Amino acid sequence: MLLKKDLVFLLMLCFVTVSVSSQNNGMVLIPTGSYKPFIKGQAEEVQVEAFRMDEKSVTNAEFSAFVEANPKWSREQIKRLFADEDYLSHWATGHFDQKNDQQGSAPVVNVSWFAANAYCEWQGKRLPTLSEWEYAASALPQGSKDPGSLQEIIANWYSRRSPAENDAAAFYKNEFGLWDMYGKVWEWVYDFNRVQYNEDSRNMEEAPEGLFCGSASLNASDASDYATFIRYAFRGSLKGHFTVRKLGFRCVRNK
Amino acid sequence: MKNLLLILLTSFIIAGCNENKEEIKQCCSTDKKQEKATDLNAQLPGTSVYQLEDAWTTHEGNQLLLNQLSGKPIVLTMIFTHCEYACPMMVNDLKKIEANFSEEERKEFSFVLVSIDHLRDNPERLNEYAVTQGLGNNWTLLHGDANQVKELSVVLNISYEMMENGSFSHSNRKLVLDSKGNIVYSQDGLQTKSEPVTEAIRKLL
Repeated sequence: MLLKKDLVFLLMLCFVTVSVSSQNNGMVLIPTGSYKPFIKGQAEEVQVEAFRMDEKSVTNAEFSAFVEANPKWSREQIKRLFADEDYLSHWATGHFDQKNDQQGSAPVVNVSWFAANAYCEWQGKRLPTLSEWEYAASALPQGSKDPGSLQEIIANWYSRRSPAENDAAAFYKNEFGLWDMYGKVWEWVYDFNRVQYNEDSRNMEEAPEGLFCGSASLNASDASDYATFIRYAFRGSLKGHFTVRKLGFRCVRNK
Repeated sequence: MKNLLLILLTSFIIAGCNENKEEIKQCCSTDKKQEKATDLNAQLPGTSVYQLEDAWTTHEGNQLLLNQLSGKPIVLTMIFTHCEYACPMMVNDLKKIEANFSEEERKEFSFVLVSIDHLRDNPERLNEYAVTQGLGNNWTLLHGDANQVKELSVVLNISYEMMENGSFSHSNRKLVLDSKGNIVYSQDGLQTKSEPVTEAIRKLL
């Protein structure tokens, strides 16, 4: 009997979880569409199916809840395979402390790809693919008709010391309703390690296109787009256990 | 909303009556297995590839946790069996390495091929591949879901990308892992010299 009661409770818990997630709190629908890929591959335009995306980067407070519920992702317990020694190093004690650490509403940084992936999974979500992220980020700031306005945001971001401590929703909202895709922190994508060139090539000595630096410029859709060069080069330099002071993430789920 | 909950609860209670004890047992023994796995992982170095905890399925249809590979060195790579060009060459490279060892020595390490193609390379397909390629007892082919394949690829620093025709472009990397799952050597490319890999394994035997 006791067992059955527990199970009923579990079921109710499942139900509550389902009803909460079906409201898609804090997520926005990104409609099916396409974007022009930076590295020219097989297609001029990359098609992306509709999906839902967190409207802002995952915050310190949100990530803290995950760590407390899953101690193996805490700074003390995490295996080196999954995160380097700077993992969550901006939390003084290794646990988020609202009083002494940065704001709870600021994007969490110093998280590895593995930790970001585990967080999204815990939420019943996943990390966006590179195509999903690039497409979502390609939307102009709300109300803007000027294609240059996005470049301006990015250029301004690169040229100043932007504090990661800022609220996760601080700078601009884009046409999809997403906050600060640019302007504050870089974000992990699921397939950050995907190949940008075809290695299934008989002549291994031939320099593969798409490798950084230099060779990529031959294949870029806009060779003057330095901001995007930097983003792709940065992504290409990452490994899954790396943690970076300006690198956070947000999650997505299928529509 | 309330009605739905009621229906769910009712259907659950009905299902609950039919619940047999075996299922409950199953649940708990899995828990124990998980605990055991965690114990073993605590003994392995934090950087060991075997810290990845998900269960894989072998070409023989058995469940396998990566930490079950600990104890002997392995040569590890990622392939997909529909691959027309690179993968057969990769397997040939590995066979050449194997040929450098005596029968006795071959018992002391194994070859592990993990499929990138979780959709098409089910255990049956992997088994067929093992047979047609004439892979012996010391070869294990693994199937896993999309996320565990991605996680392993990130750990091994192997990149791959699905093409529009369903095949993959991927790095051709062979890795040698010691008995605790530490990466001690890796070699990129195809039709590569077998000596460096052979030497890396020999050091561990």
